[in-house]
Amino acid sequence: MATPQYTDPKVSRRKFEREVEEYRRNEVAYRSRGWILVEADFPRVLVVLCAAKLKPAAVITGVRFDYSNYDAAPPSVQLVEPFTGEPYRAAELPTTLKRQVVGPALPPGASLPPGANVPRLVGHQPLMQAYGPEDMPFLCLAGVREYHEHPAHSGDAWELHRCIGAGRLVRLLEVIDTYGVRPISGYNVELVPRIGFAQNEVPE
Amino acid sequence: MPDNELQLEVIVNGQSTIIRANKNAPLRTIIQLALQQTGNAGQPPENWELRDAAGVLLPLDQKIEEFNFPTDAKLFLNLRAGVGG
Repeated sequence: MATPQYTDPKVSRRKFEREVEEYRRNEVAYRSRGWILVEADFPRVLVVLCAAKLKPAAVITGVRFDYSNYDAAPPSVQLVEPFTGEPYRAAELPTTLKRQVVGPALPPGASLPPGANVPRLVGHQPLMQAYGPEDMPFLCLAGVREYHEHPAHSGDAWELHRCIGAGRLVRLLEVIDTYGVRPISGYNVELVPRIGFAQNEVPE
Repeated sequence: MPDNELQLEVIVNGQSTIIRANKNAPLRTIIQLALQQTGNAGQPPENWELRDAAGVLLPLDQKIEEFNFPTDAKLFLNLRAGVGG
């Protein structure tokens, strides 16, 4: 569904064009990393991210940006099926953009003997968040419209991030690439053997 | 340009700028310069990450000279992802 354009469209369009122009200036470098800009038509951009280092290379995901009202509002970012442009539901995501987070040193109230090494709990947190497998996931990242519109982030307004380029095209692609594509190091192949009976002849 | 300096192109969140840097200084020194030149003063340098054209994260404490950057090298400086939630 198209987003209503409530800011001056000339301003948003000019800023959108700047994003695309700057991307185009370094397009060769981005393409060598597996980023392919497929479509840029205000207010939308579609970039396909590939794992270029795999042999054969793999198309991982499409990323659709919607720069309506930019930069009075942040861009919308969705991971989409690269060939149809359909947004992925949570269960369909080819990558959830997992990042490593270090937890608290010890649970509250716990203690260790003096001199003992304090263990650090390391967990994985997906940047793609959803309530259920059939829901539309969103990129939980400052600079993304879906993040700032989420009620849990009402204390982290877009205006705090707008001036540092948090919603810029290349910056958002870099984050998605860093957590969603670059860590992919190879193919997981599962072979499931099936055992049946061999039959030499079929009697009359 | 003095012998101990070189020029580097740094792409800050997609925006290009040319930096004159001291070859003997650690790589992290170009971050502050690139941020100043592109008007990105809102976040401290440690909230940014620097990669080469292949997307490899660069060690910031290494001397610039030791990277042997070609004259047309492009480095990419982007804002890190903050804590999600």
